[in-house]
Amino acid sequence: MKELSRRGFLRTGIAGAGALAVSPSILASAVKAPEENNIIYRTLGKTGMKVPVISFGVMRSDNPSLCKAAFDKGIRLFDTANGYQGGNNETMLGNLFKDFKRDSFYLATKVKPVTDREGKPNDQTSPEKFLEMFNTSLSRLQMDYVDILYVHDLSSPEMLEYKPILNAVKKLRKDGKARFIGFSTHRNEAQMINAAASMSDWDVILTSYNYKHAAAAEITEAIKKASDAGIGIVAMKTVAGGGWLDRERTKPMNTGAALKWVLSNPGVHTTIPGMTSFDQLEKNALLLTDLAFSETEKTDLLADMADPGLFCSGCLECLPQCPHNLPIPDLMRSFMYAYGYASPAMAKNLLGEIGITGNPCEGCTGCSVTCSRNFRIKDKIADVTRLVNTPSEFLA
Amino acid sequence: MRKCILAGIALVLVSSFASGQDPVFPELDGFKKLTKYPVFLPENLYEFINGAADTYLALGFTDLHVAEYKKGKDIIKAEIYRHSSNTMAFGIYASERSPSYRFLNLGAQGYVVDGVVNFFKGNFYVKLRTYSEKQKTLQAQEALARRIEAMLQGPAEMPDMLSKFPDNGKKENEETFVNESVLGHQFLNKAFKANYRIGNDDVSIYLIRSGSADETLRVAKAYLSSAGIEFDINETRYVFSDGYNGNIFLAWSGDLMVIISGLAKDQADIAATYTYDILK
Repeated sequence: MKELSRRGFLRTGIAGAGALAVSPSILASAVKAPEENNIIYRTLGKTGMKVPVISFGVMRSDNPSLCKAAFDKGIRLFDTANGYQGGNNETMLGNLFKDFKRDSFYLATKVKPVTDREGKPNDQTSPEKFLEMFNTSLSRLQMDYVDILYVHDLSSPEMLEYKPILNAVKKLRKDGKARFIGFSTHRNEAQMINAAASMSDWDVILTSYNYKHAAAAEITEAIKKASDAGIGIVAMKTVAGGGWLDRERTKPMNTGAALKWVLSNPGVHTTIPGMTSFDQLEKNALLLTDLAFSETEKTDLLADMADPGLFCSGCLECLPQCPHNLPIPDLMRSFMYAYGYASPAMAKNLLGEIGITGNPCEGCTGCSVTCSRNFRIKDKIADVTRLVNTPSEFLA
Repeated sequence: MRKCILAGIALVLVSSFASGQDPVFPELDGFKKLTKYPVFLPENLYEFINGAADTYLALGFTDLHVAEYKKGKDIIKAEIYRHSSNTMAFGIYASERSPSYRFLNLGAQGYVVDGVVNFFKGNFYVKLRTYSEKQKTLQAQEALARRIEAMLQGPAEMPDMLSKFPDNGKKENEETFVNESVLGHQFLNKAFKANYRIGNDDVSIYLIRSGSADETLRVAKAYLSSAGIEFDINETRYVFSDGYNGNIFLAWSGDLMVIISGLAKDQADIAATYTYDILK
């Protein structure tokens, strides 16, 4: 090995003052004025905000250079939340955007009110705490206002009309601290969107929506209703599974196809895919100007839709179908522990916790359960329950 | 015969976790323990922590156990996140901490802020939250944190790699672990990062230990190639611009790579000093 010394660095490609050693491919992706790029814009409902169809779900990124590169590509709406990375996500964006003209970008953040497990208000659902968290967000963002303030993670229609929080966000809108108000939803999406569409209070809805969603058809219908009512619709979780069809990350998803599927719904005004690399940004940025499906994308989409994967969706439709009332979601979780996590010990432990002592399907000649994800339930149960008879000392 | 085959399969499918057992929440005097939450897994973690789940998933999240401790109207919610390794647990812990918090000697490290007590130990990241402002409840919360810490397996130490960062100018409690896409590049992964204040400059240093000199060389070549820089077999130290992140000082020795961002091109001496201190 070469002996180390305090010697200098090889200065590469440097000539004169400030020349940079950059590759042609990087130069090609340097700043171009958005209007030269034929970016597809949609209007976010009655807000009147014209947003490119691809926005930026910043939640995982800690790299301001990536956010700046996204801006340079023409992305204008940046989505964060009070709770992302313990607040560090908002802080990062605040440090970046403090040098930008405020009206050159849109910033959306989210504040989550305390609710009970069912997503309903309880005695800890305090507008004072909500406002305190929002003010913390503004401080981290170093902004006087946000363009969209979402009430974060609502799953019960009761919360949409919960006056203490609703009035609090309306006041923020009136005071100019939030130009528009909305809510985000990750569960009961169709029900929430339909409920909001019948109200006049909400400007924007941020909803989970992707081609693998168990309730995709219902959500599609609800989006149309809300969009027709003038509510801006932003789609998230558009690339289900983080870009992979399997836990082992051996089967990549065609993420472009997934995003195009979402945007093929005209009621969706923009999407906020999460990005952590320039490669992801480059791929997603292509959709800013072109939403047409290629033949490969169509083929991949159809194939992906047919692949059930490893994860139980938790829809619980199986439960009433099994004549023996087996705890099928837990059994599927055990299967996933064994084969998804490669942890037979965890799988066996769970089988013990749910009282499985053998193959509970042995007495059945067929299976009356039809899984919404096309899992072969009887086969998976037979497979994983073999662990019951495996000595624990062989499992780690 | 069937049992031998199963045992063989089980031996192959060896778990990488510190423990295959689910955590058991301790009791807390005066509080009623409620463990009514399901176990959350990667596919439904969103239901509990919504979009924040992505960061956890990117850092090897495997499962989450939740309990509530109730006394009158006061509730302490305890969340035990299990990740795939101690490094990943540090990664998620560090991604949510701020240097302004009050730090505790709890697990490998912990902190208290505004009704929150978080710490990590072994493969576990533990978060306790209460909205009560009563001193007795806050004290009970900290006591609960210590009881949970005592029952969790695994090392109560910071990852070894952090000790390789030079102290001069280092900002305390800002170290993080970036599992994927370091500096936004898909070929750069699994870096420990520390922030520095050097003169008037905010500088970041990234350390990537690949486990093999060949792998480090491959990654270095990939980085140089992405920036249009020709690899020189006689050189292990380069300064260039990668187009997005400004000036980059790149150096490696064996399986350890050092990347420094935030310095100007004419500050190579400073980069050389830090690089030497790390790679010696």
